[in-house]
Amino acid sequence: MKKILVFLTAWTLAGVAQGQETLVGKPAPDITAPTPAGPALSLSSLRGKVVLIDFWASWCAPCLQEQPALKTLYRQQLNEFVRDGSFEILGVSLDKNRENWVRAIERLGTPWPQVSDLKFWKSPIAKTYGLEGLPFNVIVSRSGHVIAADLHGDALRDFLLQQLRSHR
Amino acid sequence: MRYALLLFALFAAAPVFGQSEPWTPAQLMKPEVLASRITASQTQNLLILSVGPDAVIKGSVDIGPTRDQANVEKLKTYLKTVSREKEVVIYCGCCPFDKCPNIRPAFRVLNEMGFKKARLLDIPKNIKVNWLDKDYPSVD
Repeated sequence: MKKILVFLTAWTLAGVAQGQETLVGKPAPDITAPTPAGPALSLSSLRGKVVLIDFWASWCAPCLQEQPALKTLYRQQLNEFVRDGSFEILGVSLDKNRENWVRAIERLGTPWPQVSDLKFWKSPIAKTYGLEGLPFNVIVSRSGHVIAADLHGDALRDFLLQQLRSHR
Repeated sequence: MRYALLLFALFAAAPVFGQSEPWTPAQLMKPEVLASRITASQTQNLLILSVGPDAVIKGSVDIGPTRDQANVEKLKTYLKTVSREKEVVIYCGCCPFDKCPNIRPAFRVLNEMGFKKARLLDIPKNIKVNWLDKDYPSVD
């Protein structure tokens, strides 16, 4: 019975493990793309902070469902770390249509930096990070290394809290 | 423990038989079938419509995401002059079928308008994994 449960668990988590294996422990590839206001923003400009890269798109329903939880994380649960400059979220959208992208950000009211090259799944960023589906995220350490991938909900909150508190 | 396993099995199988879809299994078209027809230029009697975020498939028409009513109306207008005998394939590819908000409204339109050869491109994961990564014909 135990073997069956182990198999079922592994089967359920198979997709998650795939992304983590290829990214975790390696330097996070730099991302440079335009912001909604126009000028480009780079991931490297956030070096020194723990960064949650949130890969999303206005056409991705599960991504939109996750945004309120990320807002709670940013404005409440981890807000002290946002204010002291040790934590940031970088939204990276795989949108194609600029208007849809900007309108979604406005509607969601997400206060963190957002970038997109507006190339949908043909985005070089998606290729560099080995994205196979959305939503997906990556956590980058202060030194610029990927320390976790594809964490959501309580697991994401707990991991970030542990990381941010351990470096105080 | 047996009860837990039964619950797990029901949960895993729910998307398969839990709800009726506007299409039948026979109306699903495999990506490799469509790709080979495009490659062989056998698309004279075929209309390919994107009802998702981007019309990445070569020769497809960009209707836009049909979760928006405006794009549902656009689809109806586009199809008005199309022969009901024509084979019409719709695709989205944003995400797996159970999470896609676009394919059901679009396929219902095909059914309501009486298209006899309505098809849905069978994309289990998304258009990247099931089309672009396989180097099937796409818009540059």
